[in-house]
Amino acid sequence: MTRIPLDNTGGPKMADYHHKNQCTWCDGCGDYGIWTAVKRALVELGIPPHGVLLCYDVGCHGNMSDKLQGYRFHGLHGRVLPFASGAKLANPVLPVLAHGGDGASFSEGIGHLVHSIRSNYPIVFILHNNANYGLTTGQASSLTWQGQPMNTSPNGIPEHTLNSMDFVFSLEPTFVARGFSGHIDQMVQILKAAIQHNGFAFVDMLQACPTYNQFATHEWLMEHVYDAAAEGHDPTDFAQARRIATDTSKRISTGILYQNTAAPSFYDRLKPREGRSTFAVDEVQKVDVTEYMKEFL
Amino acid sequence: MSRISLKVTGAQGQGVNSVGEICATGLKRSGYCVFGYREYMSLIKGGHSSFQLDVSHEAIGSSEMRVDILVCFNHHGLEKNMHEVKPGGVVLHQTPEWKFSKEEQARLEKQKITVVYLPNEKLLKEIGAPPILGNVLITSVVWSILKQDVALLKELVREQFGHKGEKVLDLNFRCIDAGVAFHVAHADTAAVTLPQADVAWHNCMLLTGSQAMGLGAVHAGCRMYVGYPMTPSSPLLTFISEIQNRTGMVIKQAEDEITAAQMMSGAMFMGTRAMTATSGGGFDLMTETLSLNGIIENPSVFGLAMRPGPATGLPTWTAQGDLLLAVFGGHGEFARCVLSASDSQDAFDLMPVAFNIAEKYQISVIVLYDKQIAEALYTQPLYDQTKATIERGHIVDSKTLASLKGTDRYDPAAKDGISARWLPGTAAATYAGQGDEHNADGSVDESAENAIAQMDKRMRKMEKLKTELPEPELFGSQKPETLFVGWGSTKGPMLDLLSKPAYKKAGYLHYTYMWPLQVERFTALAAQAKNVVLVEGNKTGQLGILLQQEACIPLAHRVLKYDGRPFFVDELDSLLSPFLS
Repeated sequence: MTRIPLDNTGGPKMADYHHKNQCTWCDGCGDYGIWTAVKRALVELGIPPHGVLLCYDVGCHGNMSDKLQGYRFHGLHGRVLPFASGAKLANPVLPVLAHGGDGASFSEGIGHLVHSIRSNYPIVFILHNNANYGLTTGQASSLTWQGQPMNTSPNGIPEHTLNSMDFVFSLEPTFVARGFSGHIDQMVQILKAAIQHNGFAFVDMLQACPTYNQFATHEWLMEHVYDAAAEGHDPTDFAQARRIATDTSKRISTGILYQNTAAPSFYDRLKPREGRSTFAVDEVQKVDVTEYMKEFL
Repeated sequence: MSRISLKVTGAQGQGVNSVGEICATGLKRSGYCVFGYREYMSLIKGGHSSFQLDVSHEAIGSSEMRVDILVCFNHHGLEKNMHEVKPGGVVLHQTPEWKFSKEEQARLEKQKITVVYLPNEKLLKEIGAPPILGNVLITSVVWSILKQDVALLKELVREQFGHKGEKVLDLNFRCIDAGVAFHVAHADTAAVTLPQADVAWHNCMLLTGSQAMGLGAVHAGCRMYVGYPMTPSSPLLTFISEIQNRTGMVIKQAEDEITAAQMMSGAMFMGTRAMTATSGGGFDLMTETLSLNGIIENPSVFGLAMRPGPATGLPTWTAQGDLLLAVFGGHGEFARCVLSASDSQDAFDLMPVAFNIAEKYQISVIVLYDKQIAEALYTQPLYDQTKATIERGHIVDSKTLASLKGTDRYDPAAKDGISARWLPGTAAATYAGQGDEHNADGSVDESAENAIAQMDKRMRKMEKLKTELPEPELFGSQKPETLFVGWGSTKGPMLDLLSKPAYKKAGYLHYTYMWPLQVERFTALAAQAKNVVLVEGNKTGQLGILLQQEACIPLAHRVLKYDGRPFFVDELDSLLSPFLS
């Protein structure tokens, strides 16, 4: 395993990602672990802060947007994926990571999730999954368990809980992983692979919400997760991956659950871009339209 | 001015557009300025649609309400459009055994309107041509009524169908000959005389406002287009998609308008030039993104093609009802610029301008255009490509990057509120494009002092922008006794009217730069004019509302149209002439 370079070997260091702003999350929030893992994954891949675009949705995780270095964007609730993918298509060599919570991603922004997966945009999507709306003070999300009293649903939710992994797998994703905010080393390995994946990398990060989630607590998650790779899971086996991702009744599989490296990304499928060595960001200049005008004569 | 008009009517899918287009191209090549206007319903087959061509040897940019030639593919035209035919006009139809009422017949005779029945099926059978060639047959009769050169029509047909082989082409030519022979033999008294041609039109393009806008965007260095289908913005998406393999642009048909706006914004944030376009309902969905771009100071370009609302409204018709939406849409207060295209010339010219303003001021620019502009067919001289510039504003050059601090990005002390901009991926200090109120490097800052400093910084851009935007353009008399004020597609019929002697003392003040609104010229002209008349395609007089707000001059005389149709030149004449002194 590549460790954080502690000496000055010339590559980026953890300190390069340091921002003077102090974190504002609750004590014990899973966002701390994910925050650390993201920075470590970037450092271990040798990516300096100016070499990445980190995009944040609105929610507790979005408060990361000014707690680390890197080009960052903090947008609208539920809309991070189209912004991030638009940015990526303009400059595909720059790694783009999009963060969103389970509240936004499986309600207001669920359409974007569907189309981002089927479009296979070459970006990383980190789902900060604490199974509730934290920043708006603990309402149920689509992923909140049945029977849990929440803000605005004191009797538990009358709706069916969405099986997020079954839903994601139904869209034929090319990369699906699951991490746990208490296991930083594993999250780093997942994120490094996700950043290097040429396609839409769906990374479900299970995290505690010590203030509002009283069911899937840090301890509960720690007791239920297991490393699928350690049990010999083959991440190229779609059916098996879907099975172990979806069935969380007894234990919760983590690690890289599925990866298809053969599928071309959205950008690779764009005929107009074939054979071009430049990207849209390099190409802004006045264009002679004479050849098109001739067709209207 | 000498002009004639030709209207082809029929069910959608019957070939109304193809007859209209081939006649338009032929007449333009013969040396005429052609203005094409389409009316159709929100359905694919059936309904009642029309394609009208107004033709002159001089520049025209409007349609007449009454026509010289009416072509009816089916009997609906004979029922619905007869009142539009001018005295002395010609009606060409192909409905067997059609009989008008006694009163109608008497009126037609009194007004010397010639009705010609073309036995389309019978003639096709005689030549052995399939029913699909009925369009060519009817076109050739129209061509003969207009006394135009048959060789030219054949040349056009060869261009269009030549790739299908000589046999098909020969059949087409036989249809043309049969059509002309029919006209000469049975209806040679039915004729309409065009004015003397002017060869200058021969070298012009024939294109829609949407195509003009697409060319303008390509010309402006736009490298990405994201859209979601919605009339009347779809033709732009269609055109820009059709040429994508040559332009190399990144094109995305998104899952909804929110996505389209967000993807465009992401691409602009990354540093390319990208745009989206939609109509009113789609723009409603985009306004949250508009507001976001306001606070992160992200340049962006939105096309807003107007059709009548509210809701789905009249989806395939025209309006100028979304001016206030463009100016005030979106929550919170933020800087923006609103432009409005009026024809195929400025639909092209405004695209580089829109991108330049967006990047120079780091704001959103909304380009309004009516459905009438989006889909009307214009005779347009080749664009002068020396005019446009690419101005990217305060993008930091590579030598300065190393000395940047993250706090330079949203520095509240920046001159005119426009701070340095540098792009993700460049080796420099980083910042956050922060949707929360933020301080200079994009860190969230909820302090009262910071909120004021950042709001003031962003809004200072409007003061600077207002000093740079041009005043509205005055056409006609430069010392008008009657001052007409308008915007958008109204310019076409207004300019056509101003060439009439009766309008010698009238002027038309045309707004292209809608927001921030310049009012000095308007104020000065209004003070001198006897009558000031607002002319708009909406119910509430939206430009009038802005003029009253900004110039404190109420406009008592208002000519407002909100029936989904553009101003027709003859109709507008009757509406405006009471205001002439």
